[in-house]
Amino acid sequence: MRLGDLLREAALSVLSHPGRSLVTAIGTILGSAAFVASLGVGSTLHQQVAAAFDTRRATEVLVQAEDPGGSHSWLDDAALGRLTRLNGVVTAGRRVVLGEQPMSRSSDLRRPPTGVPILGVDPAALRVMAPQLTAGRGFDDYHERSAAPVIMLSETVAGQLGIRRVGVAVFIAGRPYTVVGIYRDVLRRPESLAGAVVPYSVGDRLDQPGTSQVGKRDVLVETDPGAAQIIGRQAPLALRPEAPSELRAVAPPDPRTLRREIESSTTKSTLMISGIALLIGTISIGNATTASVATRTGEIGLRRAVGARRRHIFVQLVLETAVLGGLGGLSGALIGVLTTSLVSIVNGWAPVIELRIAVFASMISMVAGMLAGLMPAARAARFSPVQALQK
Amino acid sequence: MLNLQGVCRTYLDGEPVHALRPVDLHVEAADYVSVTGPSGSGKSTLLNILGLLDTPTSGSYRVGDVETSNCGAALRGAIRGQLFGFVFQAFHLLPGRTALENVELGMLYGHNGRRQRRRLAMDALERMGMAHRAKADPRHLSGGEKQRVAIARAVAARPRVLFCDEPTGNLDSANTAVVLDVLRQLNTDGLTLVVVTHEPEVAAEATRRLGVVDGVVVES
Repeated sequence: MRLGDLLREAALSVLSHPGRSLVTAIGTILGSAAFVASLGVGSTLHQQVAAAFDTRRATEVLVQAEDPGGSHSWLDDAALGRLTRLNGVVTAGRRVVLGEQPMSRSSDLRRPPTGVPILGVDPAALRVMAPQLTAGRGFDDYHERSAAPVIMLSETVAGQLGIRRVGVAVFIAGRPYTVVGIYRDVLRRPESLAGAVVPYSVGDRLDQPGTSQVGKRDVLVETDPGAAQIIGRQAPLALRPEAPSELRAVAPPDPRTLRREIESSTTKSTLMISGIALLIGTISIGNATTASVATRTGEIGLRRAVGARRRHIFVQLVLETAVLGGLGGLSGALIGVLTTSLVSIVNGWAPVIELRIAVFASMISMVAGMLAGLMPAARAARFSPVQALQK
Repeated sequence: MLNLQGVCRTYLDGEPVHALRPVDLHVEAADYVSVTGPSGSGKSTLLNILGLLDTPTSGSYRVGDVETSNCGAALRGAIRGQLFGFVFQAFHLLPGRTALENVELGMLYGHNGRRQRRRLAMDALERMGMAHRAKADPRHLSGGEKQRVAIARAVAARPRVLFCDEPTGNLDSANTAVVLDVLRQLNTDGLTLVVVTHEPEVAAEATRRLGVVDGVVVES
């Protein structure tokens, strides 16, 4: 009697009763499917979140002065030229962040003006922000050079003022500005979604040093993917070589660290759910096998009669449940992979399926099946052949 | 061949039941022995003890030269697997396996390799006139065919003794005749037969007839 014979016997026993095997393994199939699908969909989702995070935030650096009232020499064209020439910088532009300014619509001067935060940005900084326009257009170098009284409104501000089209004028501090564009979203600097944007030269004029309304100056930098950290270190030196410590560059955290954080926090709960599912699978195999052993006493008695010893019966039944668990785990893993792919296709995501998770699920299910078989197998091995054959 | 001396079997669950009173019995090689008796008389107990499926409470049972009443389960299993074959009223064929695979199962726990088992199994089916149904599922066989497959399983490994427990109990008279023919042929070829039955015409086939009443074995 070789182990190979017993294994073959177990496999035959499983395969010759597909219905019984399916009922026995269904819990494991579902458990393994839940395990693979939840981990698969989970990591697909993480990948998706991390990818979105990478492209938007990981290519952005913000440079501020430690002392907002200090020299503006680091904002001149020569300084920005040095910064733009750095390897890894796509675009860099100036910005002035003004506080809320009273804004009103030309047609309705009697209504109290609305306070709107104003940002002055040059065309390069506007490219970094990359607003998504719903109407009109952005600024260009002409508007910047001539300090043209033009303004772009966020959809929020446009809605507050009741503006739906471009070409109308709004008033800030009694001066008219032509609305040239309305934007719905920005790729970077989401704080601009609550405000309005004017050319940097216009913002410069609105800025009144010495009052409480002093604007904060900064430089927006778009970098190549992965270069943000390095540019963050180099930018202060490029902008103000004589006193780089006066500047502070804010670069996003390393996306890889962030991704790891997201993954570890959600993987824990996924693993817990999957563990419970596998436990249910184990219990269901144990139950179904206990029931099927009762209907198989004749077979077990016959095997004993033709020379099988108790340990042969025990090993065969444990192998059977292990095979069932393994097959159930494998088919469950397949279902899980299909589910992950389907969910990804429907949502237009790139599916992230790790083969080792599917293999792991099958292995775990096999071990679970083996453990589940121990009790009923021990019971079956205790049958006396005489009693078993009387059935 | 089989030698019982003062063998008795008592079940001790609660009230002691004397299933088999002390019996002396000697079965020679190539004997054809029938055992009859009413239900509960102890004839199945006698068969189980002779077939090493059950152990006597006391007494000595020798198979050939081997004393079995105090040897271990491994040796008893080995003797059972190699020297004995069993045929049951309920056939005990596994559904979902072919007739051939069922016959092979009888040798699974012996020393034959897989190829040898297949050859012997096919050989046994041929001797039973069942070679043409080798690939059939037992669920699709008639009662007589099932019992012939079961007999093929019992004799495939060429045992010395065949124990039959009501081998025709589930068969009609035509199939009974077929099975009795097969058994007679096996005995003619030198196989020792011990057949438990309650049917007089089956018992009449045997050359040696035993009766069991209330655990007492008598030769008739």
